[in-house]
Amino acid sequence: MGEKDRKETAEVEIPVGLLHPAMLEPFRVRFFVEDELITDCEITLDPYHKGIERIMEGMPVEKGLIITERICGICSHIHLWNGTRAVERGLKIKVPERADSIRVIMAELERLHSHLIFLAHAMEVLGHETMCMRAFTLREDIMDLLYIISGNRVHYAVPILGGVRPRCDIDEYRLEELKTRLSKLKLKIGDYANRVINDSMIMSRVKGTGVLTKEEAIKYATPGPTGRASGLDVDLRKKMKEYKNYDFDVIVLDDGDVKDRVVARALESIEAVKIIEQALEHLPPGPVSNRSFDVGEMKSSISYIEAPRGEIYDSCSLDETGRIRNYQNRTPTLTAMASMEIACIGDQLTDGMLTVASCDPCLACTNRAIVVENGKERIITQDDVKSLIRRGLR
Amino acid sequence: MIIWQRMPQNISRSRGVKMLKKISRKNAIHVMLFYTGGCNGCDIEIANAAWSPRYDLEQYKVILTWNPREADVLAVTGPVLRRTIEPLKKIYEAIPEPKIVAAVGACGTRCGIFKDFGGELGDSDEVVCRVDEVIPVDAYIPGCPPRPEDIIAGIAAGIPLLLER
Repeated sequence: MGEKDRKETAEVEIPVGLLHPAMLEPFRVRFFVEDELITDCEITLDPYHKGIERIMEGMPVEKGLIITERICGICSHIHLWNGTRAVERGLKIKVPERADSIRVIMAELERLHSHLIFLAHAMEVLGHETMCMRAFTLREDIMDLLYIISGNRVHYAVPILGGVRPRCDIDEYRLEELKTRLSKLKLKIGDYANRVINDSMIMSRVKGTGVLTKEEAIKYATPGPTGRASGLDVDLRKKMKEYKNYDFDVIVLDDGDVKDRVVARALESIEAVKIIEQALEHLPPGPVSNRSFDVGEMKSSISYIEAPRGEIYDSCSLDETGRIRNYQNRTPTLTAMASMEIACIGDQLTDGMLTVASCDPCLACTNRAIVVENGKERIITQDDVKSLIRRGLR
Repeated sequence: MIIWQRMPQNISRSRGVKMLKKISRKNAIHVMLFYTGGCNGCDIEIANAAWSPRYDLEQYKVILTWNPREADVLAVTGPVLRRTIEPLKKIYEAIPEPKIVAAVGACGTRCGIFKDFGGELGDSDEVVCRVDEVIPVDAYIPGCPPRPEDIIAGIAAGIPLLLER
């Protein structure tokens, strides 16, 4: 190779994907590399658009809402809860306190198992197989708890308009079983989190890689634990009425590197256990659902909720016969992945995939819609969103 | 040495190599997981069945991989989407013979809720068809999502098919 050619090949593009062991799901990352250092990164999330909102258009509301659960297989409960919550807010349905508590218990158990999947995957990508297996072992115990409450391991279908399904009511036997199992689990999760945080081998690998500063996090609207690891003090659970009785801390860390994203999730798991314990201790008596309501015309109603990965937004309206019109859903991975494009610039190539994986991407739910204008894809800017909102308000 | 002891004596070289391959394959089944566009549920359950110490397919020498060239079993989860139909065909061709395909989950076997189900605009255009309309499928593992026990049973049922081929 001559001197001239060498200069031309200095910057190389390294594509990762469509399939990669670091991520179970297909998506494509293009790393632009100069001397093993990443100079630019482009993430394509294309292959997954299924058009779930389109299927739901014109369906009876309760039949349609059950589809929202199939948006994602990891955080399935929270999607259904948020969809139900949007309709409940629009129709002004009063939800019994017991139902709210059961929903919170399910959501926090789901947060636990989601964070443990993340930790298991992060350890797998790091190459620390023991910790990966320990996370999977712990996760099985949580899946058992979910199974005890709902009867299924993944798609629980707990919330229903006006409460929760009667089969998911936590009776005396289940309450005792949950309490005893959770007290054992609490120690194990604490142990695991401690081990992850204090392991010098893991921390030396992840410290200082993939730094996302607070300014960048604000600019890219980084949601959930990923944003909180960069110093954004945003947790919708503190503002939700369902969570107002529970005492828990919002984990906010300052460094914004992969280490903080791992630690934030490890610490959040402990907080989630705290919330579940409080909810089981003070489970309000009474009915689990209030089914005395009329489904009729409903103006557009929105709901935000704190999912394991960040905020989920759902909006929906109903026509006179109670059929779904214009259902919309936005999931947290969309902005989390966008901020990871910035975070991995300046890293070594070997750390690039780790950084992208560290935002806990869940791609099944991310591909919502593509705006096509004259046969070309168009990116929606802030002005477009503003004009859309203005049109919606008129 | 142990493998050679299990083989019959006085056979031709090519036949011997074939038998050796068969014995070796039985001891290292590689499952490739390809996710054509479901909801992640089946995906996590397969990873769980393979890796999680409670189920642990790896103790039966079934190993999860993402490299089609070393795979024996292709586990497909999810309905085939318009954008994943070509990659699915390519990955199927890249897997060396003999191979078996397992369609996992309600979406893999019957397209689940995404086809034959829809409001006024009908079902989704992005969801094209079932997995067995694109590539031949040997094992169906139904469930939404199937439990890890079902996945282990399904893959265990497919292994004799693989060894016969």
